[in-house]
Amino acid sequence: MGSTNYKFIGRDIPRRDAEIKTKGLLEFSSDIYVPGMLYGRIVYSPYPFADIEEIDTRDAESMGATVITPKDVPRKLFNIRLVSVEEVTFKDWNVLTMSPRYLGDPVAAVAAPSEYLAQKAAEAIKFKFKKIYRPVLDAFEAMSLDAPAIRERILKGEQEVTVSKNVGAELNFSEGDIDRAEKESDVVLERSFKTNRRYHFQLETKASLCVPEVDGRLSVYTTTQTIHNTRILIGQVFGIPLSRISVKRIPIGGSFGSSIQTNLVTLISVALCLKSGKPVKIVLTREEDMYDHADYEMHLKLRIGAKRTGELTFGEMHNIMDIGAHQVQAYPLLGTALGWFVSLYKWKNILYEGKAVYTTKTPSCAFRGYGAPQVSWAVESLMDELAEELKMDPLVLKLKNYVGLGDVFWGQGPTVRSIIRSDGVKELVERGKQLIGWDKRQPPSAKKGRFRNGIGFGRSFHTSGAGGPISGEVIDYSGATLKLNEDGSLDYITALQDHGGGTLEAHAKIIAEELGVPPHLINIVPADTSITVYDVNTHASRGTYVGGEAARRAAQMVKSKVFEAATRMLPKAVNPEAFKIRYDEALEQAVVYIEGMKDMKVTLAEIAKASWQRNWGTIAATVSYRATSAPPTFTVFFVEVEVDTYTGTVKPKRVVAGADLGTPINPKLAEGQLHGGFVMGWSMAYLEDTPYQRETGELMNRGMAVDYKIPTFEDAPSIEDFKVIFANTYEPTGPFGAKGLGEAALNPVAGAVANAIYNAIGVRFYTLPITPEKILESLSGGE
Amino acid sequence: MIIKFRLDGRDVSVEVEPNELLLNVLRDKLGVKAPKYSCGIGECGACTVLLDGEPVLSCLTLAVDANGREVTTASGIKGEEAEMLMKAFAEEGAVQCGFCTPGMFVMSYALLHEKKRPTEEEIREYLRGNLCRCTGYVNIVRGIEKVVEMGGKK
Repeated sequence: MGSTNYKFIGRDIPRRDAEIKTKGLLEFSSDIYVPGMLYGRIVYSPYPFADIEEIDTRDAESMGATVITPKDVPRKLFNIRLVSVEEVTFKDWNVLTMSPRYLGDPVAAVAAPSEYLAQKAAEAIKFKFKKIYRPVLDAFEAMSLDAPAIRERILKGEQEVTVSKNVGAELNFSEGDIDRAEKESDVVLERSFKTNRRYHFQLETKASLCVPEVDGRLSVYTTTQTIHNTRILIGQVFGIPLSRISVKRIPIGGSFGSSIQTNLVTLISVALCLKSGKPVKIVLTREEDMYDHADYEMHLKLRIGAKRTGELTFGEMHNIMDIGAHQVQAYPLLGTALGWFVSLYKWKNILYEGKAVYTTKTPSCAFRGYGAPQVSWAVESLMDELAEELKMDPLVLKLKNYVGLGDVFWGQGPTVRSIIRSDGVKELVERGKQLIGWDKRQPPSAKKGRFRNGIGFGRSFHTSGAGGPISGEVIDYSGATLKLNEDGSLDYITALQDHGGGTLEAHAKIIAEELGVPPHLINIVPADTSITVYDVNTHASRGTYVGGEAARRAAQMVKSKVFEAATRMLPKAVNPEAFKIRYDEALEQAVVYIEGMKDMKVTLAEIAKASWQRNWGTIAATVSYRATSAPPTFTVFFVEVEVDTYTGTVKPKRVVAGADLGTPINPKLAEGQLHGGFVMGWSMAYLEDTPYQRETGELMNRGMAVDYKIPTFEDAPSIEDFKVIFANTYEPTGPFGAKGLGEAALNPVAGAVANAIYNAIGVRFYTLPITPEKILESLSGGE
Repeated sequence: MIIKFRLDGRDVSVEVEPNELLLNVLRDKLGVKAPKYSCGIGECGACTVLLDGEPVLSCLTLAVDANGREVTTASGIKGEEAEMLMKAFAEEGAVQCGFCTPGMFVMSYALLHEKKRPTEEEIREYLRGNLCRCTGYVNIVRGIEKVVEMGGKK
C-alpha cells in the first residue's frame, strides 16, 4: 500500500555496520579492554542442590585475588528481569548464594590481574556443606509430596509468599462453558506434548566490564537487551542512585532472548568492581554460558473439540512448565502461553491451567518466540490431526477458524488486548500453497521406498511489542531523541538495542522517510543510559514497531520545528503548516517547500545553518512513546522434508516462508529473519535439547559445544529451494505500516516440520526434538 | 618465551607461555579482536585466522606455532577480492549480529583462493565448520556466490 512512493522505506540499502563487523572492528562487550583491568571468574558449587555452611577464601586471597562471597553482597531477593510491574514480579535471586539450586548458581567470585591467576584463585576456593540433596530434574517429580523444597519463601513484589510443592507461580483462566461445548462437539481430541529445553547458543557468550570512573560513577559495558533495566537493577541491588551509573549500549553477539534479564555476570562484575575499586571484566566460557540459561520446557496437555463442519467448539490447555532453579519470567509466560493459545484459533470456550515448577536445572528464560514456538507446534500438530479426523484439508480448517482481522487479540496475555487491523494470512496461504504445490500432496499411505518426502504446513504469529490501550502487567514504552545538526545532518539517540537484525538501521530509514534526509546523514549515536530516555527492552519483536514509531514521532516534531524556522527564512509564508519536506534527488538532500510555488523553497541544510548563525537555537525533539496495541505479525511456513527410513535422518528440501509484517522496512534483512527463523525452528524440531545426568544433575554435554549440535551450512536448504514471500498489508498503527518480525519468523516452523514428517511417514511425535532415533523406533513399531 | 611473527602486515614480538593459545595472545596481548572466543574447542569457527594463508582455528592453535610465520585476521585481509566480498556481505544481508562474521570472512576469503568458482554445495561444505545462529546461512552463501559471479565477468 503506497510503499512504491517511499524514498527509503522498502528499499535495500546496505547496513552501515556491515563492513566494520566483517573486518572484526566493531567491539562487543568482551572486546573492550581498559588499563588496570582485573579479570573476574565466577565460582560455582560442585553440587546442583546444596546448602553451604562455610566458604574458605584464604588461599585465593593469599594469591592476591579480590574475592567476594554471599556476605559481600546485599541479601534482599530480587528478580533479574524488570519488564513486569512490581506487584507481579516474583523474586528469588541473589547475586551470590549460600544455597545453590543448579550447577551454574554463583556462590563466589574472584578478580585478579590476569585471567590465569583469576582461574587459579577461583579453583582455590573451598566449601563446607551443611546439606547436599539429590537433584530434582523433573517437574512432575518436583511437585510430588516427597520432593524436597527447592525454595521455601520468595517475594512477589514486596510480599513474602510460601512455595508449595515447588510450584513457583500459577495462572488459571476460563471463558465460556467447556462441559456444554464438549457435549455439542462431534470430535474431541486430547494429546500430551513435551517440548525440548533448548539452549540459545548465541555466538557471543555473556560478558561484562564494570569500570569505576574517577568521580566515583560506575560505567558498565555488558551483554544486554536493555541498558535501562540493567541500570535500574544495579541501582536497586547495590543501593546506588541511577545518576551515578551509566550502562553503555554495546553491540550484542546474538541473544535470542537470553539477555532480556540483567545477567548475573553483570551484577557480579559490579560487586567485584565495588570491592576492588578497579575495573573488572568477566567473560563467560561456553560451558558457563550453557549453564546460565535455557528455554522453558513445557508439558502441554491439549483437548480440543469441533463440529463436523469444522467449526471449533472448545480448547483446553494444561501447561506444566519446568522453569529450572529460578524465576525469570515464569509468571508472565504462563499468561503469554495462554495468549498464544487463544490467539491462534477461535476456540470459543476456553479452559487453561498453568503451573511454573522449580527444578534444580539451569533457569529458563525467554527464547525467541517466548513460548509461541512450543504452543504453536502443539496446536498446529493437533489441528492437523483434527483436519484428518474431519476429512478436511488442514488449510481449510485453519483458515476457517483462525483469529484474524477485526478480532480481539491478546497474544501477550490477558492484560494486553487490542483489535487486529491488518491480516495477510489468506493471501500468504494462497500464494504459499501454489509455490509448494500443496494440491499435489499425497497422503502418507501413498509414500513408499527408502526416501519418503512429505509436505507440512504450520502457521502462527507474534505480537509487535506488548503495548495496549490500558496499562497492564507489562511495562512497554520506548524513547527517541533527534537533533538537527548545524549542517542539516541528524543525530539519533535511542537506548534501544539492536540484536543484529538491523532494527536501528530501520529506525534510520523511518527518520529518513519522514524528513527526506538520506539515511547516511543520520548518525545512530553510540548511547548509554545517561543520555537516553527509557526504553524497556528489545524483546517481544517490538524494536521496529514501537521503537521505530518513537523515532518517527521525534522526526515529526523536528519537522514541525523546521517548518517554523522555514517561515522565518521565507517571510512571505504565513503558516508553517503550508510547508512540506522531501528528499530532492538532484540536490541529494532534504528540501522544504510550498507546493506549486517555485520561489518558496529552501534546503534543510540552509535552515539548520540559519538556526545556528541567527541564534534561533537547536532544533531537537525527545519522545517517550507507548503503543496502544501490539499487533500480530502473521507467518506461515510450507516445508517439504525427505525422511530416510533406513537411518531416520530428515532433510529440509524446500521451504516457503510467508510473513505478514505490514510494510517491510528492510526487505533483505526481513528475508534474513525468515531464513534464520526457519533454521532455528528446524533445529528445535529435529536437533536440540539439554538433557541432564540423573545422579549428578550435570548437563549431559557438560556445557561442551561439540555436544550441542546446531545446524551448519550443510543442514540448511539450498538458496533455490528457499522462497520468502511478504503479504501486501499495511498496519495502520505502525511506522509507515510496519510490524515486528523477529519472533514470528520462527514460531510456526516446528509445527510445519512435524506435520511434514507426518506426511512423509505417517507417524506423529509428541516430544521434541524428533530425532532420527525416535523416527527409526517409530518405523520399527515403537512410539 | 618471546615469539615473533607477522600480524596483519606488521611485525610483532610478544612474550608468551608455552601453553598459551593464539586466540588469547591475539586478543589479550596484541589488541587484535577480530578473532572471537565463542566455543573454545574448535566447534564454531568464530576464531578463524589465516596462518601462512591457511585457515586455522586460533582457539586450538598454540601461540608458539605462529613463531616466524604470518598471521592474518579479518582485520588484516586486504585486496580487491576482500573488498568485493565485504561489499557482497553487506549487500546480501550476510551480516546480522556480526559475531561470527570475521571468521566467516576469513573462511570465505580462503575458499575463494582455493577455488575460483565454487558451487553452492562446495561453499556449504567448505564453510560447514563456521556456525551462525542468526542468518540461516542463506545470505552468506548468496554473498559468496555474488563474488564468484562477478569474478566470472572480469
